[in-house]
Amino acid sequence: MSKTEMVIEGEKYSAKDRVRADRTDALYEDIPEGAPLVKIENLNVTFRTNEKTTVAVDNLSFDIKKGELLSIIGPSGCGKSTVLRCISGLQQPTSGTITIGGNQCTTAGSDRGMVFQDFALFPWRSVRKNVEFGLEIAGVPKEERKERSDKYLKAMGLEEFADARIHELSGGMKQRVGIARAMIMHPAVILMDEPFGALDAQTRNILQEGLVKILKNSQRTIVFVTHSVDEALYLSDRVLVLTKRPATIHTMLEVPGDRPRDRGDPEFIRMRKEILSFLQSQNTMFE
Amino acid sequence: MLFKGYDETNRVHRMIRTAVIIFVSLSVFMILWWIVTTWLNNVNFPTPDKVFDALWNLIIYGDTMGGHSLWEYLSASLKTFIQGFLMAAVVAIPLGLLLGYIKPLREFTAPWIEILRPIAPIAWAPILIITFGSVLGSALVVFIGIVFPLLTNIIFGVQRIDKNWLDASKTLGASHFQIFYKVVLPATVPYILNGIKVGLGVGWMCIVAAEMYKRSGGIGQFLVDVVNNGQMANAFAIIIIIAVLGLLTTGVAEYVSKVVSRRMGLDA
Repeated sequence: MSKTEMVIEGEKYSAKDRVRADRTDALYEDIPEGAPLVKIENLNVTFRTNEKTTVAVDNLSFDIKKGELLSIIGPSGCGKSTVLRCISGLQQPTSGTITIGGNQCTTAGSDRGMVFQDFALFPWRSVRKNVEFGLEIAGVPKEERKERSDKYLKAMGLEEFADARIHELSGGMKQRVGIARAMIMHPAVILMDEPFGALDAQTRNILQEGLVKILKNSQRTIVFVTHSVDEALYLSDRVLVLTKRPATIHTMLEVPGDRPRDRGDPEFIRMRKEILSFLQSQNTMFE
Repeated sequence: MLFKGYDETNRVHRMIRTAVIIFVSLSVFMILWWIVTTWLNNVNFPTPDKVFDALWNLIIYGDTMGGHSLWEYLSASLKTFIQGFLMAAVVAIPLGLLLGYIKPLREFTAPWIEILRPIAPIAWAPILIITFGSVLGSALVVFIGIVFPLLTNIIFGVQRIDKNWLDASKTLGASHFQIFYKVVLPATVPYILNGIKVGLGVGWMCIVAAEMYKRSGGIGQFLVDVVNNGQMANAFAIIIIIAVLGLLTTGVAEYVSKVVSRRMGLDA
């Protein structure tokens, strides 16, 4: 199987699964596709040190629609990762609310899965044991864990590496483990924090195509932080463009066309140019 | 994958090189020892040939005056040592993990540790031995010797844990307790093993010193006895035995620590 042929079939489960930590997307199955799932309202984040106060995120409000891939892009250091960490619950906002299907998020939980730029895999666990980590936490029985991890390992083209150690994998394979580890939990929303940022350009492209294939077979709600305009336009349904720090919304762009997209398409090129020139205007490094 | 860098011939080459260095180094040490003792010409500092003669006799015939074999002394020391070590491990491993993980607890107990840690473990020997007897008292001195390096290594290790691992487990739904035993515990294993390695070295120093303080039937007591009888060659032979055993324990601990850390992918 080639690396780009990653396929995950949509999984269906019954009403009794609604309370399971490893099936939190079932909690929101009544919300139709395209309707707002996650609401971020008046999000403010301020970092205080002894010397100074830095406003990282300034009164940000936006929705994440169910089943969409929303990219957040902005100048380096603008606070886009901070926004993502607030949604995940790993970072407490200074003020503002974040709700999923009306339920307020306060601390981190398995309903908001996360994929990290530097993978954050557990090196003492095998590939399979990494993918199964969340299921183990949720108390899923061993046979079911194996059945489900088999499926995700296969989808990620990792079945031959199920028993491999993390340090034996390439960067691209590591991140496929990271994605499988997040997706297997069926979170309500998957947060990806520059997931392909640590990879070389070729591996990046392969994983982008892979992600597109996965989304064709398994509808997921994803928030994708990236600094690559190309990546954002290739993957997303909508792109949220943030200004330089303190981060406020510059625009929310709808990206037309079905995935996989043609990077040479005139509309694609036009949008890319537009975003790039905005990002450039926000760069104050050499002023 | 990790070790494809150097091939087998290279490894053999390195091993031979190390062996030669050790051999030459020890030979020079013997020569220096021989020169110094000959120059001193003092009955309290025997030349190496007399010491190795005595060592051979100790291993074959044991303690001819006391009528005990060398093994009897060693096993008595070893028992005390293992007791002290096990007590230290049972206390320091859970405590170190907890103190590392729970910041208020760590901050609260830090002054206690900082006050107690610099005290030479042997300073407790008179009090402990008079209270608990020579065997348990000596074991408690070993306990004190091992518990602090082990504790501080583990606390340090928990704080060094990659924050991303903790974040990742939180977003996978792990509770504090689950993070503790599924992430903090395994991630700290190399530090636990390193603490054990350091602790074993300190522990060996403690056992000999504690046994010299009061008769406990161990190797330290034997050392005092032979010195009191003027058997200086035997005394140095016993010191060599202590040195070799200390080297052996830390060597084994170091090896185990390296292999386990590598297997766990935590040797970076």
